[in-house]
Amino acid sequence: MTGWHPPLFHLCRLLLAAVFLYAGWSKSVDLDAFAGQIAAYQVLPYAGNYLVAATLPTVELLAGLLLLFNLRIRPALVVIGGLLLVFMAALVSLLWRGLEIDCGCFAPGTGEPVSAWLALWRDVGLCVLVVLCWWLRSRLVRSGTGPASG
Amino acid sequence: MKALSELRRILLEASVLVACGVLIGLSLHHERVLDAFAGRLLPQPAAPATTAVERFPLPVLLDEARDLLAAGALPVDARTPETFAAGHLPGAVSVPLAEAEAAIDRLLQSTPRALPLVVYCGGYGCTDSFDLALLLIERGYRDVRVFEGGFPAWRAAGLAVAGGEL
Repeated sequence: MTGWHPPLFHLCRLLLAAVFLYAGWSKSVDLDAFAGQIAAYQVLPYAGNYLVAATLPTVELLAGLLLLFNLRIRPALVVIGGLLLVFMAALVSLLWRGLEIDCGCFAPGTGEPVSAWLALWRDVGLCVLVVLCWWLRSRLVRSGTGPASG
Repeated sequence: MKALSELRRILLEASVLVACGVLIGLSLHHERVLDAFAGRLLPQPAAPATTAVERFPLPVLLDEARDLLAAGALPVDARTPETFAAGHLPGAVSVPLAEAEAAIDRLLQSTPRALPLVVYCGGYGCTDSFDLALLLIERGYRDVRVFEGGFPAWRAAGLAVAGGEL
């Protein structure tokens, strides 16, 4: 029962942690550039873009840190899952409106722009990881080998 | 009941997590956010939005100039006040290149920077319209064209002119 569950759980947890730590860190480097990327979605009012740009990266970083240190796993997964749903709704709205902008998922202004479709599928994959992580954790706790908290 | 209370605890902790993230983010960036709410920051362009029209005056031919003016663009006369008085495009404002700074100051009071401008002078031989167009762009006008044929081409085409004796 416990043979492959623990390594797979930790793999999922660390993968999600890495993605969200990188996302949070790369977006907090340049507040103005990230606010510009949010503005390109043309959803929020002007100041709202700055509000999200100022707060979203730290939420991502905190959730990533909890996963990294194996603490409060389920609340962190709820937050990450919720963020992913919001991101996916925003990406679908891009496709719906035919806007061709960089998704703004990671570091602003570096590398090739990432299309909404690619970002959407990537987010679907991350959602699968979130669900898998949750499920594996509950298996581990039931078998008595899992994390004590969260 | 146990599962429900556990779910509530998870959601509560998730909310605390989000609240902490928001508070930390706000405390790190409160100055920028307050600036944004006060409208003190320049808008972020989604992409490098400076097209050729915005940075460099585009030349237009007679037909295009006529269409632009019919669509509401403002004709701007770069020639001297004397030649302007002797005849100019209908509705034109006089912005002589020799006194451009003061004249653009006056123009800015009456004309929004978003309004398309068609600058002209005495025809193909004169460069005043181009030089004035560069100044207008420098001062913030975003859509500035140069009608290179100028007043002579306009008059030769038999189009209406204003002022002066023909």
